[in-house]
Amino acid sequence: MTPEKFRAMVSTVLIVGVAISAALIGVGFVGALAVGWHGSLVGGAASSGATTDFSNLPGRLATLEPAAISQLGLATLLATPVARVAASVAGFALERDRLYATITLAVLLILLTSIFVLR
Amino acid sequence: MITPQADLGIFAISVAAGLIGALAGVGGGILVIPALTILFGVDIHLAIGASIVSVIATSSGAAAAYVRDRMTDMRVGMFLELATTTGAVCGALLASVVAPALLYVLLGLVLLGSAGMHVSRMGEETPPTDPPSELALRLRLTSSYPDRKLGREVPYSARRIPLGFALMWGAGMVSGLLGIGSGVLKVLAMDGAMRLPMKVSSATSNFMIGVTAAASAGIYLGRGDVDPQVAAPVALGVLAGALVGARLLHHISNRTVRLVFLPVLVVVGLETIARGLGFGI
Repeated sequence: MTPEKFRAMVSTVLIVGVAISAALIGVGFVGALAVGWHGSLVGGAASSGATTDFSNLPGRLATLEPAAISQLGLATLLATPVARVAASVAGFALERDRLYATITLAVLLILLTSIFVLR
Repeated sequence: MITPQADLGIFAISVAAGLIGALAGVGGGILVIPALTILFGVDIHLAIGASIVSVIATSSGAAAAYVRDRMTDMRVGMFLELATTTGAVCGALLASVVAPALLYVLLGLVLLGSAGMHVSRMGEETPPTDPPSELALRLRLTSSYPDRKLGREVPYSARRIPLGFALMWGAGMVSGLLGIGSGVLKVLAMDGAMRLPMKVSSATSNFMIGVTAAASAGIYLGRGDVDPQVAAPVALGVLAGALVGARLLHHISNRTVRLVFLPVLVVVGLETIARGLGFGI
């Protein structure tokens, strides 16, 4: 893989992550102006509970609740840097740069540990 | 409950935070947190949750352009992320045993002190071009970036790599412990210690701060500190600002970037001291 392609790949991962999250957050935000954060864009019953609760997202997404749509977008945004590091591991490996593939893999493992273990 | 008028205000301030953050290599939390708490009466925990979102939005939005345009040095970034992520884990583990008040004040004083150092380099456009060290060659931390303002390719190589790595470890530890100032410390370590060109320092810091923030994002989500009512307008505004800022960087000089960074440095220093003294901003 050439350095140019590597850069293009990492850049694409970031753009796609940002675009998907901006679209979801935006739809949720505009939807909230129309039916409220806890309403339903398909005319379902309003949900209750805190908009800070990320645990029951699938059920609330099914009724197209604006808060849930924005939450999915926010979660996508927070995951984007992790996807970028994962893509960099592949990029350095394809560039046959063993030193930096190893360094980046170590960063990815530390990152995943801190997200899933230290909480 | 946040009114649509307040949403508009939060959005506007977030655009400014994203713009300045993209240029200066910082997350924009310095603008977002006090604006949310003081102007809009948002709870400090939700404001900090929104600031984590704003850091990742600035980082991902700006870095997408900086990586493609060869402003970000990905090897420097990945090498130093090894230091910041391990530092952040150590910081998070130490958080329960260290008294944060004193740390905030110390960090604030360090930042204000480095503002003096930063002023002394204010007129410098590109760093001196001494031959690269053995270690820089072995770690492949020598490169160049295209400077559209100067109209030429500017070569550089990382200096004082062990010092830079140690400072980055400290920066990671501080952000793990206090959740503040990690972008400012990264720019200072790359520009001040490792003598990378200012624009490369800023673009590479932008690339890195998202990863540092992502390491603790799960904790904030789980704690219920990320509320779309606050974070959605912040994320949308910051993304818009960061995309504009990333285009702007090409058209300004390294000196101008330093000029944007200086007030950020001073404000973060003062804010950090204020927090240590118990003012909730």
